[in-house]
Amino acid sequence: MMTTITNLLAFFALGVTLVLVWRQSWRGRVRLFVVQSLLLGALAAAIGALADRPSLLLVAAIFLVVKTWLIPRVLRRMAAGAPLRPVRPGRSAGIPVLVAGALVVVAYVIMLPVSDLASSALPTRGGIPLAFAMALIGLFVCITGRDALGQVTGFLVFENAIFGLGVVATYGMPGLIEAGVFLEVLVVVLLMEGVVVQMRREHDSLDVDRLQELRG
Amino acid sequence: MILLLLAVPLSAAALLALARGRAATVVHSLAALVTVAAGMTLAARAVSGLTAAALDGALRVDALSGWMIAIIVIVAGLAAAEAPRYAREGSSRVFYPLFHLMVFTMLLAVSTDDVGVMWVAVEGTTLASVFLVNFERTRASLEAAYKYLLICSVGIAIAFVGTVLVYYAEAVRQQGVIEHAPHALRWTALLVLAPALSPRVLQLAFVFLIVGYGTKAGLAPMHTWLPDAHSEAPAPVSALMSGVLLSVGAYAILRFKPIVDAAAGPGFARRILVALGLLSLGVAATFLWNPGNYKRMLAYSSVEHIGLVGLGLGFGGTLGVSGALLHVANHGLAKSVVFLLAGRIRAAYGTVELAGVSGLLRALPVTGRGFLLGVLALMGLPPFGLFTSEVMIFAAGFSQGQACAAVAGLVLLVVAFGGLLRAAHAMLFGPAPEMDHTTGGWMTALPMAAALGVLILTGLAWPPGLAAALDLAARAVLP
Repeated sequence: MMTTITNLLAFFALGVTLVLVWRQSWRGRVRLFVVQSLLLGALAAAIGALADRPSLLLVAAIFLVVKTWLIPRVLRRMAAGAPLRPVRPGRSAGIPVLVAGALVVVAYVIMLPVSDLASSALPTRGGIPLAFAMALIGLFVCITGRDALGQVTGFLVFENAIFGLGVVATYGMPGLIEAGVFLEVLVVVLLMEGVVVQMRREHDSLDVDRLQELRG
Repeated sequence: MILLLLAVPLSAAALLALARGRAATVVHSLAALVTVAAGMTLAARAVSGLTAAALDGALRVDALSGWMIAIIVIVAGLAAAEAPRYAREGSSRVFYPLFHLMVFTMLLAVSTDDVGVMWVAVEGTTLASVFLVNFERTRASLEAAYKYLLICSVGIAIAFVGTVLVYYAEAVRQQGVIEHAPHALRWTALLVLAPALSPRVLQLAFVFLIVGYGTKAGLAPMHTWLPDAHSEAPAPVSALMSGVLLSVGAYAILRFKPIVDAAAGPGFARRILVALGLLSLGVAATFLWNPGNYKRMLAYSSVEHIGLVGLGLGFGGTLGVSGALLHVANHGLAKSVVFLLAGRIRAAYGTVELAGVSGLLRALPVTGRGFLLGVLALMGLPPFGLFTSEVMIFAAGFSQGQACAAVAGLVLLVVAFGGLLRAAHAMLFGPAPEMDHTTGGWMTALPMAAALGVLILTGLAWPPGLAAALDLAARAVLP
């Protein structure tokens, strides 16, 4: 029961992450990020309910508020005024999706032996490679992002995936630490907004290729 | 005592966000003085073997933490003395609070026993300093701040994966999940459990931890943010970042090493640390031959020294670890002095380009001589302490059967030495321009002179108790 539910939720979240790689419009990506966050919040809540961890339910609630309401608001504010162009104009998303698919395989190769160690003791262990795959894909989106918005999305997807990994591998980190993590993600996004606003003023663009003052 | 030490910079940061004008400078100076006093008192007790704890053991200061606290407060004191030159009217309400917040997060990172809290604190150091990197709000500083925020946030998130995996290793050991014991992530508890933890999980965890915290520490190839951020930040912030923030990253790696060693054998962590240390030395040695900008030159010299620290930690043994710890202290002192003086040079010459600075010794006699001494120390020449700690690190390499790595390290060190010498020579000698700028009297250079004096002490004649303190600090993370 628990295994089925958690595997299914983690699997859907990975599916959404793959769609996010394929999707080219910024608004679409923010929406997909919200969907991914909803699924991961549900995953945490499900484990909290089924494994009788009331504290995890609270963490899930805070996660949902931060990730599906606060952060998307800041993200939309960041994008307001930016020219609404595709993330990578005129290019097919085929290769990134293929790479993302390969990363899923890599995640299984790395994490399957490790997650098997938990044997039957951890009903959620099937989600470990799935969450790790999401993390790798987030990292990939972040590294290949050509503008600040793309890189921030990648970072947020990566960060979400790590939350998912913590939930399936350990039923969530201690509450104090989760609280610290949420606070810091929020501050990172707010600082990023400040940087992006200034970047737009200075360069009239968010293209990271324009950032070329510092070399060597 | 720990609580006092943490409360001072934190409450100072809150106060300084409200204060302005002269009041701000007074509060800033007072807070810095009290932080130094409290830190040195706590550190002195800790390195003599009295481990302090607070908040039900969540905060714990052993000899190693004490050693780090001493370095942090000394460098913070040096930087604080120079800070009023940079916190001009209007901007002091941003500069001072973030400065003290940064000191607070660093102190928290080294004085907690909980590796989760340590993670939160290390991430906090990034967040507190991003705005300071972009303090001048130029295009270049904006770019530096963006890279710094993005790369360090991603890096530290990778370290979080490692922390999750360490926690998971406990679940695997118990063959069941884990009651949420509040002590589950305590370093002292992990150290006891370590031999029973799964080597496979911990090896994987260590890879993530070293990539993550290695990003903060500035180990190559994760160092790419470092030259930008360190060269664009105002001098006191550069001094803090280069002098101690990097070492806090290295400290985090050092805390995890005995846990991984106990679970997976000593070879695994050693190989990674030695490889990254040599790579950092190589990257720095290459760049130092063609710097262009003297603040970037100093930043790459930090990559070089953090590479040496990585080598020392990798070689291990009492000699290697205590050599690395001594090197952290020596480098903190030397690099912060040189960065602060570089700030004065920049103010006088109006440029950070190496080509724009010459005749420093004649144009600015006090600053120039200090810079010369600091750079000689950074090159690892006797009588300065960095020579001693480098000898300790390489001696550890030879005695631990890592002769090849030690020889390679020495060769790279000589290459880096040559590069630094060439650049410094061009700055210090040659035609001196007409200066209408004074960098302040010799009084303002007193703290830096004192720091250089301490460096000569750690090089020539160790003050009584230093050897014992260093030994105790190294033993905290040795089996």
